[in-house]
Amino acid sequence: MKRKMASCISLGLSLALVSAGLTGCRFGFASDPDDPNEQVTEEPIDTSVDSFQYDGSLQGTKITLLNSKAEIQVALEKMGAEYEKKSGVHIDVMPVTDDSPYTRVVSLYNSGNPPTMSILDTTDVIALAEEKAADLSQEPWIAEAEGYLTKVNGKVYSLPLCIEGRGIIYNKAVIEETLGEPFDPQSITTLKEFQDFLGKLVDAGMERPLSLAKEDWSLGAHHLQYIYETYDGTSEGAREAIEQIKAGTLDMASYNRVNEFLDAFDVLKQNNVSLKDPLGADYDEMAIDLADGKTAFWFNGNWAWPNLAEAGAENEDEYGFLPYFLNNDPDDFVNQQIQGSPSKQVMLDGQMATDKEQAAAREFLNWMVYSEIGQQMLVKTCNLIPPFKNNPYEPADPLSRDIYEKVHEGKAFNASAIVPNDHWSVLGAAMQKYLAGRSDRQELIESIQKYWDEQE
Amino acid sequence: MKSQSNGKDFCMFALPGLFCFVAVMMVPFFYGVYLTLTDWNGVSRVKNFVGLSNFGAVVKDIQFWSSLLLTFKYVIFVVVIVNAMAFGIAYLLTRGIKGQNFFRAGFFTPNLIGGIVLGYIWQFVFSRVFVSIGSSTGWSLFEASWLSDPSKAFAALVMVSVWQLSGYMILIYVAGFMGLSEDVMEAASIDGASGWVKMRHIIMPLMMSSVTICLFLTLSRAFMVYDVNLSLTAGAPYGTTEMAAMHVYEKAFTSRQFGAGQAEALVLFLITACISGIQVYLTKKKEVEA
Repeated sequence: MKRKMASCISLGLSLALVSAGLTGCRFGFASDPDDPNEQVTEEPIDTSVDSFQYDGSLQGTKITLLNSKAEIQVALEKMGAEYEKKSGVHIDVMPVTDDSPYTRVVSLYNSGNPPTMSILDTTDVIALAEEKAADLSQEPWIAEAEGYLTKVNGKVYSLPLCIEGRGIIYNKAVIEETLGEPFDPQSITTLKEFQDFLGKLVDAGMERPLSLAKEDWSLGAHHLQYIYETYDGTSEGAREAIEQIKAGTLDMASYNRVNEFLDAFDVLKQNNVSLKDPLGADYDEMAIDLADGKTAFWFNGNWAWPNLAEAGAENEDEYGFLPYFLNNDPDDFVNQQIQGSPSKQVMLDGQMATDKEQAAAREFLNWMVYSEIGQQMLVKTCNLIPPFKNNPYEPADPLSRDIYEKVHEGKAFNASAIVPNDHWSVLGAAMQKYLAGRSDRQELIESIQKYWDEQE
Repeated sequence: MKSQSNGKDFCMFALPGLFCFVAVMMVPFFYGVYLTLTDWNGVSRVKNFVGLSNFGAVVKDIQFWSSLLLTFKYVIFVVVIVNAMAFGIAYLLTRGIKGQNFFRAGFFTPNLIGGIVLGYIWQFVFSRVFVSIGSSTGWSLFEASWLSDPSKAFAALVMVSVWQLSGYMILIYVAGFMGLSEDVMEAASIDGASGWVKMRHIIMPLMMSSVTICLFLTLSRAFMVYDVNLSLTAGAPYGTTEMAAMHVYEKAFTSRQFGAGQAEALVLFLITACISGIQVYLTKKKEVEA
C-alpha cells in the first residue's frame, strides 16, 4: 500500500514537472524567427564599374573587424569578400556574441589581440578613443560625413557607419482601413492632435492603438533621452543640458522638456495595447500586432524593420514615423521632426595594429565611402542608412527610407545624447516603475536627479 | 628511495593539475584582489594604487546591500525547498517502487539543461503560457505575467532554481540512501524503531554526509546565481530581482566601475565562503559512522 502511494506521489510530481516543461510547445510563436524556408530577397550589386584606386602594396594583408551589429554580420562578410577580390586584403569579420561590445573589445585588448577595426556604440568610442584608437581626422571621408562626426577633444577617431532614427511608427494601411479615410501623417502636428487621433481610432473600434516596449533600453535610452536631445535638437545642446543638470543649474522639476516628455509618455501609456500588464508586454508580439493591424502605432526605430518583416510586413507596405510629439505648439521642432543620428561607429586600433594593417583598414573605410561597389553594398547588402553625402543609393525598407527622406528634407534633428553607460539600465528601471504605475512623476523625476547627482 | 619515487609520482600526477589550478584559479583570484586596490578601468595602461577606497564605494552602494539581502532571502528559500524536496523524493525513489530508475532520470534531466536556456524556456512559460491559460480560464493568478510583479518574479526565480537544482541533489541523496546498511536498518526494526523514530535517530545521522554535500552545493550555487537570474528576469521588474552576482557584473561592466565591482565580488566571495565553511563544519560534526 505504502509502496503504491509512494509510486503515485512520484508519478504525480514528475508529471507536473515534465508537463510544465512541455507546455511551451503547445503555445508556439506566431512567427518562427528562424524559418529556414524563408526567402531573403537581396538586391543585386552591380560590380561592373569600379573607379576606386587600390594600393597594390597591401595585397596579402590580413585584418579583423569586430562587429557588434548582429543583423549585418552576413552582409559584412559578403562585403569583406568583395573587397578582398578587388584589393587582396583579407578581412575577418568577428561577431560579438554573448558579451556587450565594449566588454568584448576590452577583453580582446587585455589579451593582447585586439581587432584592427571595431564597430562600437558612440559612448564606447568616446571611452576608448584616446587610449586605443588611431586618429582619423585626416581621412578623405571626413568631408562626406560632415555633421555626423563624433569628436573627442577636437579629433575624429571613428567613422559613422549609419544613421538610425526613432519615433512613433505607423502602419498607414491599417489606419486607413480602420478609419475608412485616407491618412496623411503630416496632418498631425501637436500632442493634442495626436491624442485626438488615437481617440478616433478607439472610437472606430481599435481598442488600444499603440504598442509600448517594456525593455529598459527602450524606456531608459529611447524614450527618456528625448529630454536631453530636445533641449535644442543638437548633440551640443544635449551635452549642455546634461552638464547643466549635473551642475544643478537646470532644475529637473521645472525643466519644461521633462514635463512635456512625461505628458507625451502618459498619452502613449494610456493607449498602450498592454495597458493591463505593461511590464508583461512581449517585444516580438508588438511587431506582429502592428503588421496584423491589432495596433496602428509602435514606438521604436528603424532597427525594428527585421521584426516587422518577420511578422509579415513587405518592403512595399507604407510604414513611416511620426515625431514624438511633446507639446501643443505646432512650430516647435519636436512636433515636426523625428530624431535621427549616427549610431554605430567604426574605430581603428592605433595601439597594436601594424602600419600595414592600419593602412589596409583605412583603405577599406575609404572603399566603403568612395567605391561604387562599397557604396552599393553599404545600402543594399547591409541595409544601412549611410551618413555620407556622396552615397547616391536609397535604402529599400520603408522605415529606413522614411528616415532617409526625412534627413534629406530637413525633417530630422541630429541629436544624440552622450550619457554614462548605465543610464539606460538604471533609469530604464525607474521608467519601468513609472510605466507600471508604481511610481509617480515626482518619484521618477527625483530618481533622474539622483542619478545625475551621483555622477562625477 | 621511497621518497624519491614519491616526488616523481607527485610531479607526474599532481603537478599538471596543480599547475592548472594555480593558473586559472589562484592567479586570477589574487590578481583580482590586487585590482580592488587600484583605480583600473579595464582599459587604461596605468593602474594607480588607491588603497581601500573601492571598499568605501562598496559600503556606500545601497543597491549592492539590498541585492545582497535579496540574495539571502533567495538562498534561504532555495536551500530549504531544494533539500527538503530532494530528500523526500530520494526517500520515495529508494523504496523499490516500480519504474524508479525512470523517475530518477526524469528528475535529473532539468539539471542537464544550461541555466541560460532554462531561464529563457521558463520566461516563455511565465509570460506567455501562463498568461494564455489565465486569459482562457479567467484565473486571476495567471492573468498578468509573473515576471512583471516583484514578488511573483522572485517566486518564479525560486521555482525555476528549485526545478533545476533538485535533480542533482536527488541523485546525491539517492546514493546516500542506497548506501545505508541493511543490517542497521534491520536491527533498528527488530528493536522496535519504526517510522519517524527510525528516520530521526537512525536514517538522519547516517545520511549526514550526503546532507553536508547537498547543503554545501545548494548554498554556494544559490549565492552565486547569475545565469537563471539573467535569462529569466534580468533584474526586472525595475531592478527588484537583481541578485548580488548580477549586481556585481552590472557594476563592473555596465556602470564600468571595475574597482568597485571587483571589491563587491570579493565581499560576496567572503560572505559565501564563511557561510559555507560554517555549514560544512556544523554538519560534519553531526556525521556518524555506521
